[in-house]
Amino acid sequence: MARRARGRENAVGSAAITALQSVLAAENAAVYGYGLAGAQLSGGQFSAAQQDWTVHRMACAALSAMITERGAAPGAAAVAYRPPFPVTGAGAAVSLAAMLEDGVIRAYLGLVALDDQALRAFGAVRMQAAAIRAASWRGSTTAFPGLPASAL
Amino acid sequence: MTERRATARAFSRRRILTVPATMLPVAAIAACGAPDLLAPPPGPSPSVRTLRASITAEQSLVDAYQRILAAYPALAAMLHPFLSQHDEHLAQLKGRLVIPPHVKVTPLPSPSAPASPPASARAAITMLGDAERAAAAAQLGRLAAATPSLAQLLASIAASEATHAMALSSLNPAALNPAAG
Repeated sequence: MARRARGRENAVGSAAITALQSVLAAENAAVYGYGLAGAQLSGGQFSAAQQDWTVHRMACAALSAMITERGAAPGAAAVAYRPPFPVTGAGAAVSLAAMLEDGVIRAYLGLVALDDQALRAFGAVRMQAAAIRAASWRGSTTAFPGLPASAL
Repeated sequence: MTERRATARAFSRRRILTVPATMLPVAAIAACGAPDLLAPPPGPSPSVRTLRASITAEQSLVDAYQRILAAYPALAAMLHPFLSQHDEHLAQLKGRLVIPPHVKVTPLPSPSAPASPPASARAAITMLGDAERAAAAAQLGRLAAATPSLAQLLASIAASEATHAMALSSLNPAALNPAAG
């Protein structure tokens, strides 16, 4: 009985670690991507990209700590990430920023499905912040940020 | 005679064995805290109550938009994207509400009495932004009682509402149409 309870605890913990690692991977991709995007932007858009880059870097540090606290090793960032399209101008840079935020929202949505209430709330709050950044890059809002059409 | 006595003995031994056996399920049911047969049917589960609370909240946001659009038709183009996204939220939430026939639920509360519309288009937009922010915060409070899949839907709706609040705060009704400001 005690062994079964411990097994369930481990399963819950490993689900949390897997979800946190996915969020960390999305945040690492965002840090790299904002670097690419920022290089094509100027003025207010450059400042916004720089600000968002900082947010994602801080999130990486926080998530790494959360994963370490749970006894796992945080996944390392890749050396480079291939953007989904060539980022050769301001328009592409803005689209990339919005897409990076979409990836981050989807990753945090994974935390919301966990049984751990603190991680659920954390994921939901981070989703709101990322959705606000995505909407400001895109200039429009969406009804279901992060949810795939198949879930609706 | 010997045979009859043997049968009688066998019978009585069977009775001794069967009586406690028939009592066992009763004891087991009592120990497991099974539902009382005479108790009234159970009410809706916490997840269903959470879903109904979200539907009520979403409906009152839709009503707020409609009241403001009735008072300030010039805002229609600005507000339409947000209102149509709320219609989508409401449809998704209602689509998940399946109440089994034996479960008794009280009807959804009707939205609060309509307040008089704000004095200006700007005040109306501020009011909607505040309502969106409050709605997003309230959704977060419902996550704990929701199933994982409903929690994800509520978190996504809350994120959408947070973006509405941000977008509303950057709208300038006076710039679009001086008569509306």
